[in-house]
Amino acid sequence: MRIVVLVKPVPDPGEERLGDDGRLDRSVTAVINGNDEYVLEAALKLVEAHGGDVTLLSMAPAGVTDPIRKALAMGATRAVLVSDPTLAGACSWSTTQVLAAALRTLEYDLVLAGADTSDGGGGIVAAGVATLLALPYLSHARRIEPLDGGVRVERLSAAGHDVLEATLPAVVVGTQLLGEPRYPSLRGIMGARAKEIAVRTLAEIGLADRPVGGAHATTALRATRQPAPRGSGRVVRDLDPVAAASAIVDFLVERRAI
Amino acid sequence: MVAASALGRLTDDQRAIRDAVRTLARERVAPRAAEIDRSAEFPEDLRVLLAEQGILGLPFPERHGGLGADLLTVCLAIEALSAACATTGLILAVQVLGALPLLLAGSEEQLGRFVPALASGRDLVAFALTEADAGSDAAAIRTRAVRDGETYVISGTKRFISHGSVASLVTVFAVTDPEADRHRRISAFVVETASPGFTVSRLEHKMGIRGSPTAELAFDEVRVPAANLLGAEGDGFGLAMRTLDRSRPGIAAQAVGIAQGALDVAAAYAGQRRQFGKVIGEFQLVQGLLADMDARTEAARQLLYTACEEIERGAPDAGRWSALCKLVAGDAAMAVTTDAVQVLGGYGYLDDFPVERMMRDAKITQLYEGTQQIQRLVIARALLAHKP
Amino acid sequence: MGGGIWVVGEVDAAGALTKLSGEAATAARALGEAGSREVTGVVVVAEPDGAAASLAAFLSTVLAVRAPEMADRAASAVVAARIVALAAAAQERPAYFVLGATPDGRDLAGMLSVLLEIGVLVNATGLTWDAAADGVPAGPRVEMQPFGGRVLTSSGFTGECGIILLRPNMVTAEPLAEPGSVEERTPGEVLDLPPVRVIERVVTESPGPSIEEARVIVAGGRGVGGPDGFAGLRELAGLLGGAVGASRAAVDAGWIDYATQIGQTGKTVKPAVYLAFGVSGAIQHKVGMQTAETIIAVDRDPDAPIGEFADLFVVADLAAVVPALAAALRARAG
Ligand SMILES: Cc1cc2nc3c(=O)[nH]c(=O)nc-3n(C[C@H](O)[C@H](O)[C@H](O)COP(=O)(O)OP(=O)(O)OC[C@H]3O[C@@H](n4cnc5c(N)ncnc54)[C@H](O)[C@@H]3O)c2cc1C
Ligand SMILES: Cc1cc2nc3c(=O)[nH]c(=O)nc-3n(C[C@H](O)[C@H](O)[C@H](O)COP(=O)(O)OP(=O)(O)OC[C@H]3O[C@@H](n4cnc5c(N)ncnc54)[C@H](O)[C@@H]3O)c2cc1C
Repeated sequence: MRIVVLVKPVPDPGEERLGDDGRLDRSVTAVINGNDEYVLEAALKLVEAHGGDVTLLSMAPAGVTDPIRKALAMGATRAVLVSDPTLAGACSWSTTQVLAAALRTLEYDLVLAGADTSDGGGGIVAAGVATLLALPYLSHARRIEPLDGGVRVERLSAAGHDVLEATLPAVVVGTQLLGEPRYPSLRGIMGARAKEIAVRTLAEIGLADRPVGGAHATTALRATRQPAPRGSGRVVRDLDPVAAASAIVDFLVERRAI
Repeated sequence: MVAASALGRLTDDQRAIRDAVRTLARERVAPRAAEIDRSAEFPEDLRVLLAEQGILGLPFPERHGGLGADLLTVCLAIEALSAACATTGLILAVQVLGALPLLLAGSEEQLGRFVPALASGRDLVAFALTEADAGSDAAAIRTRAVRDGETYVISGTKRFISHGSVASLVTVFAVTDPEADRHRRISAFVVETASPGFTVSRLEHKMGIRGSPTAELAFDEVRVPAANLLGAEGDGFGLAMRTLDRSRPGIAAQAVGIAQGALDVAAAYAGQRRQFGKVIGEFQLVQGLLADMDARTEAARQLLYTACEEIERGAPDAGRWSALCKLVAGDAAMAVTTDAVQVLGGYGYLDDFPVERMMRDAKITQLYEGTQQIQRLVIARALLAHKP
Repeated sequence: MGGGIWVVGEVDAAGALTKLSGEAATAARALGEAGSREVTGVVVVAEPDGAAASLAAFLSTVLAVRAPEMADRAASAVVAARIVALAAAAQERPAYFVLGATPDGRDLAGMLSVLLEIGVLVNATGLTWDAAADGVPAGPRVEMQPFGGRVLTSSGFTGECGIILLRPNMVTAEPLAEPGSVEERTPGEVLDLPPVRVIERVVTESPGPSIEEARVIVAGGRGVGGPDGFAGLRELAGLLGGAVGASRAAVDAGWIDYATQIGQTGKTVKPAVYLAFGVSGAIQHKVGMQTAETIIAVDRDPDAPIGEFADLFVVADLAAVVPALAAALRARAG
């Protein structure tokens, strides 16, 4: 099974900030988006069990390769990085166009993506990619199982889960329940240097003259504010349980919560 | 981690490996450290983890299933592990120590026979030189190996053997020719611990590195194939010394790791603990302690990295470099962990915080693989040999 | 008057309109009034009548589309195709869509974005209407709180169209004085998006109040110690009229369901009161709850990071505090 995993380098969660231009400050250490690690793990398990290989596909500035190397070290076979100066400030619509165009240049049976991204991504890109490529779209997966020529997914629902099936190729979006990602082994880390990260420009994926990228963003940041600081908290300690409980009740009353 | 030093001098691979081991140490090893110390049980789970992640394969050649890493890379891994748990760092350090005689003097046949299981981490190997009455004076060992046809028969008792009770292989130093010159009496053998006549006769109760089993090994006419002799008869002492030249940086790395671990705890604590209406980190006397701890740790680290580079490039005074780095790092670890306890005050003396464990662990780095006094002898000998 | 605003209603497992759909409708109505745009509800499900009528409580016009294949098809492709067809057939193409920021809402937004070639703003916490100014066209202004609320942003669309995903509990749903009307529609020329079959729908939980909608959340972490510990938290949640949430550590341990997980890879919540027991407050947890109005934490470790952003931090053993608090609340309730 040939699997493409969409991976997004994101700022280390908790460290994100916006630059003066209102765009994400990319100087912060980049890591693989947490949700993408779960689907990468699922992809690696699938190829371990059923054969095949895993290609990483990412749209990111050319310098941001550490997270991609890490994903290669976990066991992916190769990586394709779409990188173009005009993509800085791209909106989700552009990102969708770019990833779909890049996928048109690759061979695959399955495309996997993480549920959403920690830098404010809304978990909408993969659905658009599937739609542009006219592929079945299965989201919110807690389990992915290959069938003969198809895929079965357990999709989380509000009340439990739905069992979905579709033909391959398909796009599947996964959640944390797919399982804890592995640590890259040292052999993987040393081997990752030799693996290919193919950098593609917009022209190379056939989008040279298309209205994608920062200049064509469909959305625009108008203003930012800092949230009002939380007043410094009250700390109570060394109380017996009853006194601690009544401290909580008093506080709830004070805040008009009960 | 306070320090992210040595960035410039490390290769991309070294940096990536250090970071990966650091992550593993923080997420998987550190949470186990207190329990390993309390129970004094060998952390088999962490051995498996180090094996799975390829960490135990670092020092072995690629053609036998290892990663072929250089000495500095191995030391970076030991350092990162030891910052979380000195016992776990020692798993790799002892694997290096036990395997070095084989790697330095083993034939291709012997390497092919023993190394793959070591590189995969399936088997551990111990290093058995010390005896009850032969510590610093290693040439005075009494364990005998007597040739009998295609085998040697080994008899005697080894003491203080790290991993002696958990290893599958032990590199044993034994006297093959009692009549020979002091430094030609001894030969080295690879002994499988499954051999009849091999027993673990006791396990020591220790002050620190409590999860690392230190065993007394009894050899009661243990028969070893002659094919397990490393190098030629009489090569053993020289091989032991060449081994220590390359293995002592591993102990220095353990020491630097322990020191860094203690410094990190102390610095974090100093930023939170309040007395006299201030965080104690605002008191200059506390700042002085922290600054000295950092300076000592960093100096030891840089000396260690230089020593690794010198040894790796085949410097003629490799023995001096390895003694220098172990001497400086062992003393740094002891001083820094002692000061870390000081920064934490009474809390540092409780097992609620890791610094008292780190202080107990640090002490061993001044003792094994040659005491600090022996390191000084080695250094002085090198200096005096160069005198015209 | 420019293009209208469409609100796509979502239904729960029982086929009833979700609370969030009412909130989205209310928010869209305010937008419509401010921007003089017509606001229309759309419900596409197998049996739309009930849900469409519910949505008409909030909107003067609701289009009900019967999509029988949704009984055994994954929703997003079916709904997206119908909406595109409806929009094409409408007298005036809708300019804006307001959807709930739910898994289904996200799926639908991703598809509509490429089918209609319009942008998306996700996880809105507030909506207002901006008049045209300085070369920026009139349109919705969308408030968001990315990075776990460490910064507040407001954004708009560059073209005069777009999709907004609204987070739960940001708006109080307010019905119209007079309910609106439901018109059944059967769009022709429906796109053929690749089908995804639903083989089985497995119901494992009694759908209680979802944590995203709860006003009070009683959350437990590793410190709760096991599934039994969560029984105590459930009692507290019951007494406070809230829902139980959890940290990832508690979910990973199997003590409680993933649906209750709060944080980076779980849900983002903004309750009036967040009561945390034995949750250390790791950054990945914090990003899911730090915009709660009031945060109360009970932890025996005085250095737990949650102490740094809790409004009330009780350093104590939760095993003793939970029953004492339950007793105190019962006593108050009389
Ligand atoms: C936990 C632990 C693990 C160990 N693991 C191993 C192992 O895996 N394999 C192995 O072979 N050994 C191992 N050892 C043994 C260790 O290497 C020896 O303990 C060490 O070499 C010192 O020997 P000793 O204990 O006999 O001390 P001694 O040699 O009796 O020394 C006592 C004191 O005299 C000093 N001294 C001795 N000779 C001189 C001299 N010439 N000049 C100045 N001072 C001198 C020493 O520095 C020390 O202060 C281990 C020891 C310990 C405690
Ligand atoms: C990619 C990624 C995504 C993640 N996503 C999420 C996410 O969505 N949500 C999430 O929560 N985490 C997430 N995490 C995990 C997160 O980093 C933490 O590991 C997790 O939040 C810790 O859960 P905890 O606070 O329950 O456990 P701990 O950090 O172990 O804290 C337990 C707390 O309980 C206290 N305690 C113990 N016993 C008692 C007692 N008897 N009385 C009082 N207090 C007690 C302890 O002092 C401690 O503070 C993610 C991690 C990664 C890497």
